[in-house]
Amino acid sequence: MTKKFYIVTVILLATAALVLVSLCLGTVTISPLQIAGVLRGEDIGPAGKILLNMRVPRVLMALVIGASLSVSGTIFQALLRNSLADPFIIGVSSGAAFGATLSIIFSFPYTVTVLFAFGGSIATVLTVFTISRRLKMGTSSMILSGIALSFILSSAVMLLFSMTRSEQVHRALMWLMGDLGTARFDMIGEMGIVSIVIIFISFMFNRHLDIISFGERFSRNLGVTEGVMILLFWIASLLSALSVSLAGVIGFVGLVVPHVVRRIFGPGHVWLLPVSAVAGAIFLMVSDTAGRIIAPPYEIPVGIITGFCGGIFFLLFLLRKGDNSL
Amino acid sequence: MRRIREVFVEVFTAQNISAGYNGRTVLKNINLAIREGEFLSIIGPNGAGKSTMVKVLSGDIRPVSGSLLFRGSAVEKWKAVDLARGFSTVHQSQEQVLPFTVYDFVRMGRFPHQGAFRIESDSDARIIGEAIEITGLTHLAGRKITELSGGEFQLAGIAHALAQNREVIILDEPVSHLDIRHSVAIMDILYELNRQGSTIITVLHDMNMASDYCKRIVAVKAGEIFFDGPPEIVFDYRKVEELFDSVCIVRDNPITGKPFIYPVPEYIRKNRQV
Repeated sequence: MTKKFYIVTVILLATAALVLVSLCLGTVTISPLQIAGVLRGEDIGPAGKILLNMRVPRVLMALVIGASLSVSGTIFQALLRNSLADPFIIGVSSGAAFGATLSIIFSFPYTVTVLFAFGGSIATVLTVFTISRRLKMGTSSMILSGIALSFILSSAVMLLFSMTRSEQVHRALMWLMGDLGTARFDMIGEMGIVSIVIIFISFMFNRHLDIISFGERFSRNLGVTEGVMILLFWIASLLSALSVSLAGVIGFVGLVVPHVVRRIFGPGHVWLLPVSAVAGAIFLMVSDTAGRIIAPPYEIPVGIITGFCGGIFFLLFLLRKGDNSL
Repeated sequence: MRRIREVFVEVFTAQNISAGYNGRTVLKNINLAIREGEFLSIIGPNGAGKSTMVKVLSGDIRPVSGSLLFRGSAVEKWKAVDLARGFSTVHQSQEQVLPFTVYDFVRMGRFPHQGAFRIESDSDARIIGEAIEITGLTHLAGRKITELSGGEFQLAGIAHALAQNREVIILDEPVSHLDIRHSVAIMDILYELNRQGSTIITVLHDMNMASDYCKRIVAVKAGEIFFDGPPEIVFDYRKVEELFDSVCIVRDNPITGKPFIYPVPEYIRKNRQV
């Protein structure tokens, strides 16, 4: 336990430090002194505008989405009893991709794209949910119908691409890669608060999730009702849908983070959920910052960074741990 | 004056239950009343429906027809959490085993008593401690359940069940692949629990274990109850031979005085018949 508390303290201090670093770095470097100045209400010129209108919302967005994806992945891994599950396992991302692509192709404004993406992902979740309820095969039917739906929707996205002018395809592709460059305060306001509230609600179900991860029969024997499982399914799906519609398909966070946290903190969700949330938030924020400073003036979409870094880190982690109990 | 408890002296009542999987009927028209304080063993050949019986009782499968009552009312009318408080089940194997510590695993048994979000009380901690002590796992409480041996894991499962409930415990072959030390240890624990008032319902493969420890034997053959009664009465060699379609000799166990069943090897029979 003391070891865990020690790690938690380190994580929280690191978060604070990394938030500061992320606010400073970018195509324009802002010094910590300037940030302090803005906090005191001083006018520091254009840097202040960049800080308030771009950096702050972007960092907040990265934190919220990183936390949402990690918590969503953690819940799906418990619910589906599959440690390879991630927030997009039941096709949320494909639904969102279809909605977003549709909106981008018709050159609708950004707000509409977000709404379309959200609608697409929720429609997908509903479909998967209905189909798997009808099949009554439990978790595998959920995964399988999710896969089927993902294929159909990906083909639909490709079909849209093949009939569209290339510049819109490019915009849609950028969206698909997962991009935080478009973060805006008004978006993070509403959807961010909803996500945070849902994340905190999920924390209250940590003991349910412990039991659920032992299997359906085990859960039933202990009186965990199907209603709770459905609620948790929707919590995880909503977090995933909110993230994907705000920032596109950011892969790997929701798979890698819960995995690594589980290896260090054990399988108990009382630690797993909050630590995954914080670790996911940091991971995404750092990845986004890296994307901003690697090749200025270009910004690399965060989804590419998370894929690269996450994948390499994960491989190293697996090799170092030297055990294959995936 | 009668106590209220006595009204529900029947813990489980199976009324004309048929059950099975995917349209295949395994159990046919089972009528069975299990009363409080019984130590009942379900025996019978492989595939006869012993495990299906346990699954019906524990609510893992629903009967195709007939009804199952728990303490006098149909199980469908019970709230899931109240059923979980009313009895606990130890399965033959876990669907999934995660590296929780023995203590944390046993603690999960308290879940139905704790309300959705309540924090553990002192009595919870006491009950968890007792469950671990009864099963002799105190020295392993901090060990991960994934690192236990087969016998230790079975004990952890029983401790988990005890933390959940001590009144009625259902077990599916609790000793079937354990060495004699662990088998006897587990059966002794069950015997002691029964002596203190727990109702124990268990599937057993070893008829001599059933004979030595249980008060009531329910034999299942081809999905039907073949015989039902105390071991001293039902373990007659003719009945046992018919149950298993094999040749057996029944003698008294010199230690316990209970019937002891020896299967007769085929080569002996051949030699004798000549």
